[in-house]
Amino acid sequence: MAENGIAVSAEALVKRYGERRVVDGVDLAVPEGAIYGVLGPNGAGKTTTLRMLLGIIEPDTGSRRLLGSARPRDVGDRVGYLPEERGLYPSMTAREAIAFMGALRGLEWRTGRARAAELLEAAGLGHAIDGKIRKLSKGMAQLVQLLGAVVHRPDLLVLDEPFSGLDPVNQERLEALIRAEQARGATILFSTHVMQHAQRLCDRLAIIARGQCRFEGTVDAARALLPQQVHYVPHRADPAIAALLPADARGDGEGWRFPLPPEGIEPVLTRLIAAGHGIAGLSIERPGLHEAFVRVVGEEEARA
Amino acid sequence: MTQLRRHLRQTLTIARRDFVATVFTPIFLLFLFAPLIMASFGAVGGMGAASASDSSAARTRLVVLLPAAAARRVLDADARWRPLLAGDSRQPRVEARAPAPAPDAGDAARQAAATLAEGAHGHDSVDVAAVLYGTLERPAVLYAAGDRGGARYLAGLARDAALVERAGAAAPDATLTAVRTDAPSQGVRKATGFFAVFGIFFLTLFLSGQVAGTMAEERNNKVIEVLAAAVPLESVFLGKLVGMFGVAVLFVTFWGVVISQLGALLPGDAGDALRTLAPAVGGGWFALLFGGYFTMAYLLLGSVFLGVGAQAATMREIQMLSLPITIVQVAMFALSSAAVSHPGSWVATLAELFPLSSPFAMAGRAASDSALWPHAAALAWQALWVAIFITVGARLFRRGVLQSGSPTPAWKRLFARR
Repeated sequence: MAENGIAVSAEALVKRYGERRVVDGVDLAVPEGAIYGVLGPNGAGKTTTLRMLLGIIEPDTGSRRLLGSARPRDVGDRVGYLPEERGLYPSMTAREAIAFMGALRGLEWRTGRARAAELLEAAGLGHAIDGKIRKLSKGMAQLVQLLGAVVHRPDLLVLDEPFSGLDPVNQERLEALIRAEQARGATILFSTHVMQHAQRLCDRLAIIARGQCRFEGTVDAARALLPQQVHYVPHRADPAIAALLPADARGDGEGWRFPLPPEGIEPVLTRLIAAGHGIAGLSIERPGLHEAFVRVVGEEEARA
Repeated sequence: MTQLRRHLRQTLTIARRDFVATVFTPIFLLFLFAPLIMASFGAVGGMGAASASDSSAARTRLVVLLPAAAARRVLDADARWRPLLAGDSRQPRVEARAPAPAPDAGDAARQAAATLAEGAHGHDSVDVAAVLYGTLERPAVLYAAGDRGGARYLAGLARDAALVERAGAAAPDATLTAVRTDAPSQGVRKATGFFAVFGIFFLTLFLSGQVAGTMAEERNNKVIEVLAAAVPLESVFLGKLVGMFGVAVLFVTFWGVVISQLGALLPGDAGDALRTLAPAVGGGWFALLFGGYFTMAYLLLGSVFLGVGAQAATMREIQMLSLPITIVQVAMFALSSAAVSHPGSWVATLAELFPLSSPFAMAGRAASDSALWPHAAALAWQALWVAIFITVGARLFRRGVLQSGSPTPAWKRLFARR
């Protein structure tokens, strides 16, 4: 049972490799039943954080609780995990591979085999039930491994970069599966550096960069870190317009872009109309998670 | 579910996977029948050599070139002595030939030389190794240089025949009386001890080295993180060890049944040799302890090889480990053999206490010491070391391969609670 509705929590987690602090004081709180994203550029410390939460490696300092337990292994049978580096035994069949992963988490082999067949059918891999893993495509093998992570119906599903290597069709399948797991009552914690998935799926998220948690909150709160963007298109181009716009306005060839001023858009529009420039187009756009992410981690790191 | 039961279940899950993955492959058949292939090659080579040797021995003769009555006595002597000859002492057939009348000793020697030369030149399709000529009072033997054994045998026969001739009916025959001894000799006990040491060494030599590469499979397939997330590494290590031990037991059982059902497969005197074994603890306990110590030897050596092999990153590195692995096993065999030869000595005590040689040495001890409690203590001691080796191997793996390092000193981390 989770504590106070929190399925996973971390306080000041630190992990050093030599002199380098790979994870440097990360705090997390994943609500029970939520889809929670851990976002960050490559090398930010996402995988190390997940490994510490799961008890695969130990933090140097700090504490974590998983499903109410300070010893993650004690609740191992209630957790499903898809690691970043996918791995299956090539000589196993898809059914056996899924049943084996279930057996590691305490599921009876017979039940595991039966559920494996059901899951494979539901995932559109019915034809591969008794096929060897070595004969499956990379995407199909990845899906098999994911099914192995959920076959024992875990209370917590941890997915490390689950979308990498999947084609768009399988990405959609994976999104559906994650939502289905949430509907079943599971908490989902996943890492990614692809913002579209996080924006579509996450109830809450953490943005990690250089081993530190730079943001923790809802997707809306992340997007609210940036002001809304105004896109103004005049009737005709005129350099004099710049003087009538906020100082941080930038031309984009077609028109001008600038953050929505705190006092609103009306004063700007009034000035433009009074000067006779007119309005050919005007839109106010909410920044996406990607922009918020870039803002939080910095442009240089976001490109990493 | 208790922690212990969970670990046991996880260990058996890993063991089951490894057992099935190893046994249900075509390669396993090659492994299982490897002794047959090895024995077949040995048999083919041996049969070739034996056939050449037998045909050469069958064609060789020791010739008695004496008058008929004397020759008869020599052949009688040969009939008395030949059943006692075995192995390398066996001599070619003795054949009597009637000599041509020889007016002097020179003629007799010339006849003997001619008879020897006939064989040397391949006439009559026989080889003559030696020729006995002259008289029983003054026998002489001519022989081909380099084959003195046949000549000595003929000389011995001539002497025996002459002595019997002189003694006549008074030649004594000894009375044979069998006496049953209560306790086997020290020699028999040492032989029994050596049998135990060699038997365990032989089985572990072929079987325990295989575990060295098992963790490499997980690393190459990248399954290790799935396992490490679900199962304590100690259970992964133990599971792999148990799985491969299952393979070893299957192998030993298969060949044990085959050999026990087909006695003909046993080499020459092996059956007799086994019947002469006389362990101090008794046959039943000895068999039980042999099984227990084989298990412990496998688990001890296997856990060390597994831990060391887990640090290897490539198959090439694992292959390179095969030499040190063999050296360690041979060293343990040598130490334990010395312990069997000197029971009660400091070498024996060292071998019995040193974890890696303990199963071998204690199996040897069972042959010479009837006390059972040291075996209970030794098995517990060895089990403790299996646990230590697995724990250390798993922690080194976690630290070196899963990158769970930290600024904490290595020795402190190694023994830190996980």
